[in-house]
Amino acid sequence: MEEHKLNVVVVGGGTAGWMAAAALSKLLPTRCAVTLVESEAIGIVGVGEATLPHIRGFNERLGIDEAEFMAATRATFKLGIEFRDWARKGDSYLHPFGAFGRGHGQVDFHHYWSRLREAGAPVAELGEYSMAVTMAYANRFALPDPDPAMIGSTFNYAYQFDATLFAPFLRKVAEGLGAQRIEGRIVDVELDGETGNVTAIKLESGDRVEGDLFIDCSGFVSLIIGKALGEAFEDWSQWLPCDRAVAMPCRTETALTPYTSATAMNAGWRWRIPLQHRTGNGYVYSSEFISDEDARAAIVAAVEGEPIAEPRVLKFKAGRRTRSWVRNCVAVGLSSGFLEPLESTSIYLIQAAVGALVELFPERNISPVDRDEFNRLIDMEYDRIRDFLILHYHATERSDSPFWDYVRTMSVPETLQEKIDLFRRRGRLVKYREGVFLDASWIAVYTGQRIVPEGHDRRADLPPVDALAREAEALRREIRAIAERMPDHRAHIELYCPMAQAA
Amino acid sequence: MTGNIQRVAIAGGGITAWSAAAALKRKLPMLDVLVVSSPPPPDALADRIANTLPSIGEFHADLGLSEEDTIIRAQSGIRLGTHFSGWSEGLPDYVHAYGSYGASVPGIPFHQLWLREGHSQPYDSYSLAAELGRSERFATADTADAQLGYGLRLTVDRYCELMRAYALHLGATERPGDVADVEVREDGFVAAMILVDGGRVEADLFVDCTGPAARLRSRLDGDRESWAQWLLCDRVRVAGSQPDHAQSLLDEVSAEPNGWSSACATVFSSSHETTGEIAAVPLRQGRLAEPWIRNCVGIGDAAVAVEPLEWTNLHLVHSQIDRLVSMMPGADCAPVELAEYNRQCNAEADRVRDFIVMHYVTARPTTPFWKDVASIELPASLEHSLSLFADRGRLPYYEEETFTRDSWLAVLFGQGFLPRRVDPLAYALPADEVARTLSACRDSVTAFTGSQPSYRDFISAMGQRAPL
Repeated sequence: MEEHKLNVVVVGGGTAGWMAAAALSKLLPTRCAVTLVESEAIGIVGVGEATLPHIRGFNERLGIDEAEFMAATRATFKLGIEFRDWARKGDSYLHPFGAFGRGHGQVDFHHYWSRLREAGAPVAELGEYSMAVTMAYANRFALPDPDPAMIGSTFNYAYQFDATLFAPFLRKVAEGLGAQRIEGRIVDVELDGETGNVTAIKLESGDRVEGDLFIDCSGFVSLIIGKALGEAFEDWSQWLPCDRAVAMPCRTETALTPYTSATAMNAGWRWRIPLQHRTGNGYVYSSEFISDEDARAAIVAAVEGEPIAEPRVLKFKAGRRTRSWVRNCVAVGLSSGFLEPLESTSIYLIQAAVGALVELFPERNISPVDRDEFNRLIDMEYDRIRDFLILHYHATERSDSPFWDYVRTMSVPETLQEKIDLFRRRGRLVKYREGVFLDASWIAVYTGQRIVPEGHDRRADLPPVDALAREAEALRREIRAIAERMPDHRAHIELYCPMAQAA
Repeated sequence: MTGNIQRVAIAGGGITAWSAAAALKRKLPMLDVLVVSSPPPPDALADRIANTLPSIGEFHADLGLSEEDTIIRAQSGIRLGTHFSGWSEGLPDYVHAYGSYGASVPGIPFHQLWLREGHSQPYDSYSLAAELGRSERFATADTADAQLGYGLRLTVDRYCELMRAYALHLGATERPGDVADVEVREDGFVAAMILVDGGRVEADLFVDCTGPAARLRSRLDGDRESWAQWLLCDRVRVAGSQPDHAQSLLDEVSAEPNGWSSACATVFSSSHETTGEIAAVPLRQGRLAEPWIRNCVGIGDAAVAVEPLEWTNLHLVHSQIDRLVSMMPGADCAPVELAEYNRQCNAEADRVRDFIVMHYVTARPTTPFWKDVASIELPASLEHSLSLFADRGRLPYYEEETFTRDSWLAVLFGQGFLPRRVDPLAYALPADEVARTLSACRDSVTAFTGSQPSYRDFISAMGQRAPL
């Protein structure tokens, strides 16, 4: 039984708005007519210049050509995130997109690594047994080997790109697929007196835009789900106290690293995201522990190249709406919640919401079954990312500032405490298949932040220690040799997707 | 951190106990593994039910057992699925076959295309395994690859003997004996089991494979979650004689007025079955609240008692053994380590329960038993699955799920349980392309099936490669 198309109104034209508009137009062309309302007068936050590998699946589903997209958004490749000074000042590790060791076999590589350490055998840092980490630190890049038996296949990658260019890129895609765009500032949201559903939005011009389903991509102001529908916000700042960021881009003058850096600071942390034409910098901090002026001074002092804009302050609060889909309004992106960009999850959360909406696309009379399932899926994504972020702060020995004293000693969600205890005991991970960060990510952060297992899997005891040490060393050399044969990151970009092509 | 577990004592003498012994010695050869053996009791279903799921093949491969051993030498049959008859009045029988159904279309679940087309052909006609099963033909795994899964129909005694011989070959030791008592230390750990012959067996870890009575594990606590409010059948009769191992690739399971029956087992509700003539043993469906506490873990029926509909009994055993090996704790059996083991085992058992309850609540025979079944209040997780499915044909993913989405769909569609609407994603393809996709899929299933050897030829060819 064919239904009429639903009129879908996307409110807001940033990354979230255009990702939603493009995906709905592409994947459900017979089910929805998409109208996007945005105002050029309102800037976009443009969060999430650094992404996770999942973005590749999104682009692929939309039929987006990688090189074209990278050139247009001045993108670089991203193999992971480097964390500096987190557990102790002077520490650093890289959270790679990829496995440690060969990435297959019944016993995870880090168990063998633990055993070698416990036995006092010569063993390198865990990252030296990771293809992605080794490539990243060598500033090399090549696409993964398609043969899963090869060590060159054991990494994944994402992009670092200019988010202010991604939205216009997607706009072209969405408009090409039939999405309509309306320019205008929204001044009011009309609700149905009986059902409480949103019936229309009113623009400054006096125009009304009616719809069956409203996608709230209005960003922090949360125009519909927050303001008009009054959905409560669950505040997570007790665990994630950072509530401001001061951003300041500069020219890319240092090496073009195929990774993002997150350096711990006295009252938060600082990002560094190298794009083809500039490097994004910013200091995410807690206003309880540092003033805006001091944070600004700190980022100005830390920037490595010639600044190309004045420092700009953003305010936020960690947490999410109790429900992301309420009545006939689905919140996507910052209107639904905020988690600091420490693990580059902002665009991933948009993608997860858009994906879930496509999978659970409703009828005109919205079934509570669809809505509840959507909210269950989105809550799970938020909650798991939350735990993973809290781990970064909590797993520290730093006591050099009140901020670090607070996060080191705060109580964490029980779900996280169990995960930490289990890993500390014997290097085991709480097993689940759904959710964005899987085993290797947790292993990287635990070991990188000095939560080192006291024991290991018994099966790792089978090979003799010296044979194991030899094998580990051979693996390390093999990884290094392969990485060294790869082209330099910048050279690869200049060959594959230089921004000059994006005329 | 305390020391490692060194001595493992396994109580039980059936397939469960010997499979645990073989896996432990194979994977953790540094352990001393002693099986205190006694014949399995009549209500130990994992030790007695002949039919198994495809996961048994992975268990064997992992242990280094070849198909020549497990099929030819152990005289097992191959099974491609279950043929359900009489479960939905007014509808034809259906096959729950292993492996994938339909063709893969990017971004659109196949079953939504089937729904959109109007489900003019039975859902199982899009399954290679079902078609092979009906035509008594068999393909080797590598030719049909991911599309095909198969379990085994065991000759129980021979298979148990194979597993025993293998475990002993790997270095496990055996001491015949029946558990008379359990000596518990002050801290609640098991110190030793005392045998009927007066023997005393000490160990660091005790693995209870003694069946539902859980003769070791039950001494520590008896906290159990009963499933009786969802699974009304409380009696089981296991066929005494072993079926011809190569009788058929499919097993028929018929709905009966007060339960169901098949060649290898009959299950019914004693409060509905009044004739009382069927010799059967009690079946208390449910699971331990915590299968593993301190240094004692229940495996198989000692942890989970579930009717053999869908043949999950030995599957659960294998899964628990895999976890036991990969999550082996220190000698102090720290609660944080056991908690994760228990969480996974319980999640798995509960979803198996849901899958089985689903068969009953979506079935449509008409006797008082079936009417009572239809009026039960569902477990929350199953309620969630079925309400989402009833509305739009979507099945939510659960962690530790045993049965694939294809399996859920095979039974739901086979029993005529259809969603209210077709997913919008199915309209991404034009109607004629949907029809073409479906008929091409059926054609390729039929053509492939026709080109495969008969099941008997396949078995005899394998037999020639593997003299007994």
